[in-house]
Amino acid sequence: MYEVRLWLSKRGRIRFVSHLDMFRLMTRAVRRANIPLWYTEGFNPHPYISFLLALSLGVEGEKEPVDVRITDDAVTPEEVRDRLNASLPEGLFVEAATKPVMKPSEITWGEYLVTYDPSEMNADSLKEALDSGALETEKSGKHGGRKVMKKVNVSECIHSWSLEETEDALRLKVVLPAGSVMNLNPQQLTDAVNAYLGTSAAPLRAVRLRLLNADLEEFR
Amino acid sequence: MDPRIEKLLPTVQKPARYTGGELGQVMKDKNAVDIRYAFCFPDSYEIGMSHLGIKILYAIANERPDTWCERVFAPWPDMEQKMREQNIPLYALESGDPIRDFDFIGFTLQYELCYTNILNMLDLAGLPVKAADRKDLAPIVMGGGPCACNPEPIAEFFDLFSLGEGEEVNSEIMDLYAVHKKRGSTKEEFLREAAKIPGVYVPSLYEISYNADGTVAAITPKDGAPAVVTKRIIRDLDNVYYPKSFVVPFIDVVHDRVTHEIFRGCIRGCRFCQACFLNRPIREKSPEVINEQCKGLIHETGYDEISLCSLSSSDYTRIEELLNLLLDWTPGEKVNVALPSLRVDNFSDELLQKLKSVRRSGLTFAPEAGTQRMRDVINKNVTEEEMLETANIAFSGGYSAVKLYFMLGLPTETDEDVEGIGTLAKKVVDAYYQNPDKPKGRGVTVGVSASSFVPKPFTPFQWEPQATPEELDHKQRHLKETLPSRKINVSFHDIKTSFLEGVLARGDRRLSAVIEEAWRRGCTFDSWGEYYRFDTWMEVFHDLVLDPRFYANRRRDYDEVLPWDHLNYGIPKKYLMRESEKAKRAETTDNCHNKCAGCGANKLNGGHCDV
Ligand code: SF4
Ligand code: SF4
Repeated sequence: MYEVRLWLSKRGRIRFVSHLDMFRLMTRAVRRANIPLWYTEGFNPHPYISFLLALSLGVEGEKEPVDVRITDDAVTPEEVRDRLNASLPEGLFVEAATKPVMKPSEITWGEYLVTYDPSEMNADSLKEALDSGALETEKSGKHGGRKVMKKVNVSECIHSWSLEETEDALRLKVVLPAGSVMNLNPQQLTDAVNAYLGTSAAPLRAVRLRLLNADLEEFR
Repeated sequence: MDPRIEKLLPTVQKPARYTGGELGQVMKDKNAVDIRYAFCFPDSYEIGMSHLGIKILYAIANERPDTWCERVFAPWPDMEQKMREQNIPLYALESGDPIRDFDFIGFTLQYELCYTNILNMLDLAGLPVKAADRKDLAPIVMGGGPCACNPEPIAEFFDLFSLGEGEEVNSEIMDLYAVHKKRGSTKEEFLREAAKIPGVYVPSLYEISYNADGTVAAITPKDGAPAVVTKRIIRDLDNVYYPKSFVVPFIDVVHDRVTHEIFRGCIRGCRFCQACFLNRPIREKSPEVINEQCKGLIHETGYDEISLCSLSSSDYTRIEELLNLLLDWTPGEKVNVALPSLRVDNFSDELLQKLKSVRRSGLTFAPEAGTQRMRDVINKNVTEEEMLETANIAFSGGYSAVKLYFMLGLPTETDEDVEGIGTLAKKVVDAYYQNPDKPKGRGVTVGVSASSFVPKPFTPFQWEPQATPEELDHKQRHLKETLPSRKINVSFHDIKTSFLEGVLARGDRRLSAVIEEAWRRGCTFDSWGEYYRFDTWMEVFHDLVLDPRFYANRRRDYDEVLPWDHLNYGIPKKYLMRESEKAKRAETTDNCHNKCAGCGANKLNGGHCDV
């Protein structure tokens, strides 16, 4: 038995499939592909498939890590990748299958590409908002078991950003906290910008390009 | 996909309902087909995707090289609102194309309370809801499924209905359509020819006249349409097409597994049961075929569960053979076989041992009525002893939760019969505590679900008045007040919902106006409690001067012309009358395994039933 890290891309309409539903989808894909996956023990055994970090509904991913365990050493990671690709629905693709190097808990940052419609979001205003240091949003959290809304200082969360403007698109590349400690997704960032500017822009597209560790090295 | 849709999807609940792209969906080149078919389920994606019939008919239509059949579900109200705001017409999931340009729009009619959704979907598509206002040949709006047995309340919205099992007749309709499309026929020309296909009912070719008292006077065919339309059946289930794959939904739907029908029809003939009489004669599929098809589907879909379905699975004559075949390979592939409520008493020890290894669904019984007299009236031939015996076997086998299904408002029901429900449930509770092998350290829970009886066409009770809402209210209270044990939890069906169901089930064509007006006043998703607007419906009845109680709560004479008298489901009215009279005398009729009761349905199958 060995552990392998699959790097999954999620593009197009399948981005609307939620994190919870992804597990069921992968389970079925693995079964169709006849991949000898390790199953959990117990009364209701299910295959061990671990999505290391949730991708928010509507966000695409370029290389999302998924850990699985293969029970038959004769089946190579390349074979796992190819068989799975033959059985995944449109929009999902295993880009690579590698030996895990870092621990899942090392994931700290996510690099995103967020595209806006220039008629909804003006480049100068967006720059102003991102430079303001005053971006805030609300996130639901738990306090003493109760659901509460917590204020989040978004400006403090943003590690870095750059902006590129073309005629029909405004592209924001931004590094946001990702991982078990702190998380901020492109929608929450957009909400904060909208609140600051009094706009109501919605991203045309949001893609998570890659995950990074605390030292800004690519997660492997 | 329309970029406007992509943009609004992040703002609605469960957007994956509207994207398509699931594994197993059929994609074709739209320029390479002649017929575009929109298969519509007039309820949510989750309900529709759980339905076996749609999977079968979807696959069959797509087997045709000249046809591309796609799926459409009723958008949930949040999505509908956004689509209307932005003028996005109803589209098919596979291609994303608006369905108003399709050749066929086919609705499956599973229950009466989805009728307003049909109108809403046609309207969202950008089409007039009334058939007479849709002048062109395309789209042909057709309907099939159980409610097609009395389609009169929705007759004005449809071009044609297909009665009975659709596997063969749908293709015949499409063949004919292809010819007429090439020829450039009018819709009328096509429909006149379509009415000649056995099993096809074209409502516009029938004139309905009424008596002064509101009952139907006559149903008169015109333009050569047949006086009686007889439903279609599939004679050989082993050789009829069965899908090799299912569309596998992304999101959690109600039934998310491989479902397999093992036989059609039911041998028991419970007198309230429309499904039984609509689906006779009895035809079984062989265990080998079922097993092979299940295996194929498991491999194609990646599902890890198989559910055997039919009206009464334990009556399948070769159930033990089938389970042995399935249990041979399923545990090794980590596939669970979900067992419908089976009578385990006559299984061999060896099979029982194997069954222990699979996960079991909850234990359910449907005695339907609380006293033996009442059960005799409805011909539910289960005795208390049999039930308690089976419950005991189950308790010894580790079960501690039981669900019992009953109906309130059955013909001749008295308060005593209602109390009998509690008494019977109490006996199940007692049986648990007296069972020495019951699970250690666990109490028993007995759930009682009491629905309201709705008389349906083509049953021996089709002439009976439905209990009025006031009567049902009294019965529900009485049951609650006389419950003998705290271990019993009762749940009821909503009385107002059952009332509307009762009205629509036996309604006539004049109800089309009521349904249309109710929909115009905002009624949709009537089967969903949170959206059901009973008061609006009652206002519409009032404004259109039609009495809902005339349809629901009136006793019909045997010689009254019923709105569905021109449709034939294989069981002559005479037989239903005989059963109705026997019910009044609390006399039972044997099930088909013991003795053929001569219901007549076997004539559709060359005189044969698989019993
Ligand atoms: S057993 Fe009775 S209720 Fe059940 S399907 Fe058969 S006839 Fe209907
Ligand atoms: S013809 Fe006889 S055996 Fe067949 S369904 Fe009717 S009663 Fe049963």
